[in-house]
Amino acid sequence: MNKNNKGLTRRTVLSGAAAVGFSGLARAQQPAEVKVGLIVPLSGIYTRPGQVMKMGAEMGIDHINKQGGIKALGGAKMKLVVIDCGDTTEKAKNAAQRMVAQETDLVAATGAYLSSFTLAVTEVTERAELPVLTLSYSDLLTERGFKYIFQTAAPASRQSELGLPTLMKLAESASGKRPKTVAMLMDNTATSIATAKALKEKLFAQEGLQLVVEEIWTPPLSDATPLIQKVRSARPDLLLFMPNAVSDAKLGLEKINEFGLGQGKIPTVSFSITIAEPDMLQSVSTEAVQGIMTIVANWGSKGQEELIAELKAKYKEPWATQNVVSTYGDMWLMKEALEKAGKADRQAVAQAFRTMDAGPSKYYPGGQLKFDEKGRRVGAGVVIVQWQNGVPVTVYPPELAQATPFWPKKS
Amino acid sequence: MRQFRSLLPAIVFTIAYAVVSLSVTNSYYQLVLTLVPVWAVFGLSWNLLSGYTGLISFGHAAFFGIGAYTTALGQIYFDLSPWLLIPIAAMLGGIAGLLVGFPTFRLQGHYFALAMLAYPLAILYVFEWLGFQEVTLPMKRDAPIAYMQFADPRIYTLLALAIMLATIILTRIIEQSRFGMALLAIKQNEAAAEAAGINTLAWKLRAITLSGAIAAAIGAFYAQVLLVVTPQSVFGMLVSAQALTVAMFGGVGTVWGPVIGSVILIPLAETLHAEAGAHIPGIQGVIFGFAIICVILVAPEGLFWKLRDLLRRRFAKQTTPEASAAPQALQPATANVTALPVARRHAAASEVVLEVRNLSRSFGGLKAVQNVSFKLHKNEILGIIGPNGAGKTTLFNLLNGFLRPDEGEVVIDGRNMSGERPHTICEAGIGRTFQVMRPFLRMSILDNVVVGAYVRAKTEDEARKLAADAVARVGLSDVADRVAGELSTKELRLMELARALAGQPRILLLDETLAGLGHGEADEVVAVIRQLARDGITIAIIEHTMQAMVRLVDSFVVLDHGAVITEGEPEVVTRDNRVIEAYLGKKWVAHAPH
Repeated sequence: MNKNNKGLTRRTVLSGAAAVGFSGLARAQQPAEVKVGLIVPLSGIYTRPGQVMKMGAEMGIDHINKQGGIKALGGAKMKLVVIDCGDTTEKAKNAAQRMVAQETDLVAATGAYLSSFTLAVTEVTERAELPVLTLSYSDLLTERGFKYIFQTAAPASRQSELGLPTLMKLAESASGKRPKTVAMLMDNTATSIATAKALKEKLFAQEGLQLVVEEIWTPPLSDATPLIQKVRSARPDLLLFMPNAVSDAKLGLEKINEFGLGQGKIPTVSFSITIAEPDMLQSVSTEAVQGIMTIVANWGSKGQEELIAELKAKYKEPWATQNVVSTYGDMWLMKEALEKAGKADRQAVAQAFRTMDAGPSKYYPGGQLKFDEKGRRVGAGVVIVQWQNGVPVTVYPPELAQATPFWPKKS
Repeated sequence: MRQFRSLLPAIVFTIAYAVVSLSVTNSYYQLVLTLVPVWAVFGLSWNLLSGYTGLISFGHAAFFGIGAYTTALGQIYFDLSPWLLIPIAAMLGGIAGLLVGFPTFRLQGHYFALAMLAYPLAILYVFEWLGFQEVTLPMKRDAPIAYMQFADPRIYTLLALAIMLATIILTRIIEQSRFGMALLAIKQNEAAAEAAGINTLAWKLRAITLSGAIAAAIGAFYAQVLLVVTPQSVFGMLVSAQALTVAMFGGVGTVWGPVIGSVILIPLAETLHAEAGAHIPGIQGVIFGFAIICVILVAPEGLFWKLRDLLRRRFAKQTTPEASAAPQALQPATANVTALPVARRHAAASEVVLEVRNLSRSFGGLKAVQNVSFKLHKNEILGIIGPNGAGKTTLFNLLNGFLRPDEGEVVIDGRNMSGERPHTICEAGIGRTFQVMRPFLRMSILDNVVVGAYVRAKTEDEARKLAADAVARVGLSDVADRVAGELSTKELRLMELARALAGQPRILLLDETLAGLGHGEADEVVAVIRQLARDGITIAIIEHTMQAMVRLVDSFVVLDHGAVITEGEPEVVTRDNRVIEAYLGKKWVAHAPH
């Protein structure tokens, strides 16, 4: 559908006849605008991360357009189309269908936060041959043999593989001895289970770690006492605490402090951005989180100071999480692909993603702006983030670190 | 032919819907068009159990999810085609229904609803624990049609429509058979249904099995449309709620309810999501909820019933002149029954058809019935009298199986039947009515009575015939098509009598059949009862007003504090001092005529 009959795209469902399309008309001359989609949860319980992703996308579009738009298209401006994917898999699927049916001139899209939603969304976009970038971790996303999905983050299994050895080195260099025992407290969401699988099957043995406590809960966690009690009696050198809901994280950390295990008595590490979300500070004190580390796919880091400052000024966000940085980077990646494709066409853009080799990535940690045959970004790395004085800062890898890491020591 | 005609609207609707959907090429609108029949079928499956039996299930997602995971896992692990997996899913759903129903039907009302709520939530965690948090259906690029993967989304809509039409037809067939009548009877009054000879547990199990099978089949199809299955998306609370929402919005207990609900609500939710949600994210939920609340307030039983009532009223207004003329013309028929002569020979000496031996039942410390024995002779009218709280109704409940006696025997034709289920005792030839009337208010008189006929009738036609006979015997033929909710007390009493009669009982237990009737009305009912006795039915009747009874019964059993204080012919019993004392207190004994 071309942009002249925008009114028609907004009709109610039963007037289905409106949909009989005129797509393909008005494709001949270069458009003055290139539309890209952002399909994220903007209603329901995942609204907050969706909003943060939107901030990143808006800043990205703004910056690209200010520096002259897409040069290969005569300075065409990028335009963001925002679609709410709701809070269920079904809503996400429906929203994706709406996106491909009604916004036929999209050239690429990014989304959809939760990997379940991204799975559903990409089932639709794959069939519509619309290229989609995603910051979701799930390995499954890029194991379906799909041709139109591009995963910028390291997949879940890879993240722990990359993160744990680094963490061990960090512990060794900062404290002088390698941790030997580990406790693992996790919820039973897909991400945690994938991470735990990689840890148990391979990484613990590889790093010489002995698993002394393993506890799994189903969110929401109602009482963390029994979990933390087990940790206290086992006294491990390292605690892996893997919540995916802020409320669970809060309960766990409060209990850790209550039992006197906080602030470095037992170094605590997480594997998701939950524990470093700004919301955390609303429920726990700065002291309670001091020193806690998490291994994530992306985070605001060195070299992005201006972006972080703008985020603070414009949206009053205290720091840049993965959601902001990755989505911001996605806009630049789409621009890159458009420049390479030389035309505002989704097939050409998809092909550009597949064949792209644009050197080191500026907004994703490690690796290149290049995708393998599965659609995974080549060399995608992780960052380690540590709470320091009330702010989670990037401490690893050194080239991205905003601060030096410290290993909490038993006092 | 009658069946075909009643299905005509459904067929026309389906064809019209198919034509509309074929003209839609926008894939998003098409998806919405596919989801409408999907949720309609899910609503219908819920309706089949909860709508007709009134046992609200908050857990239909259990069956839906089992279906969805069957298609997903069957394709991933066994490489089976969904064409095969959907019937398999239906089978598994039916088995699940049976397994769920058997223990859960012990519960009633809210307890049943809450227990049902637990099933999908429990299964949800099981699937999470098994590691099926996110399952995607493999894309079959080489054999899409064999795996139900169509490039043209219109085919999904057509398939969903076919499933919907099949479900509607199935529901209609059930609705018009004794299955449906049994379910409706259970909904309106489970105790009355059981007393009318319906094996309620067996019918409820059949209903939940079928309902589970349909829910699982549509869940299996839904997975094929959604392509990604997560425990939340198929076992979640919202899924169970969806079935309730479409059915309750559209109308419970009718095949059209879930269809209407789905046709309105699903596109509305999507439109709101696309339109309002684009401007103020989240507002769609508020508007949607508000719309549902408004409709429920205005039409608590659902849109279908509200519209039907409105149409009926308008239709009734137009035809008032004819309608008011009819009863007058037919008045003599009723009068005919009343006018029959009163002569009847006493039957006390003939054969014993029911014998009660030393029957006792206590509730905690209260001995409601203690050591009661009496005999009921063939063709006799026995009056069981006693002041309020004497244990009369408890005695009846022991006789027809609502209560289990602590001790004693109820011997029918030489067989001890004490402790049997009510429907079994009904089959043995004992019918009963209730002190507090238990009509099926939404059903017509004839339908109310048909429920009672199933215990004897083998076929639907036979049941209708027996019911029509029974209605004629109590003189209600001319109002047989009226809905029970519109009747007067006298007509309801007669209708209850007819329902008990339709099962062709040899013994009738009448519980305060004359209560709440005016003088003239009581006489009419008394006349009907006498006629029944003349026709060879043995009758036991409870009453605490003596007056009407003295003229009706052959003999009395008088109860007080759960025990028999005397028995015998009316003239003797009414003069008995113990009876006068029980009714009026000691000081009246002196005034009694001797």
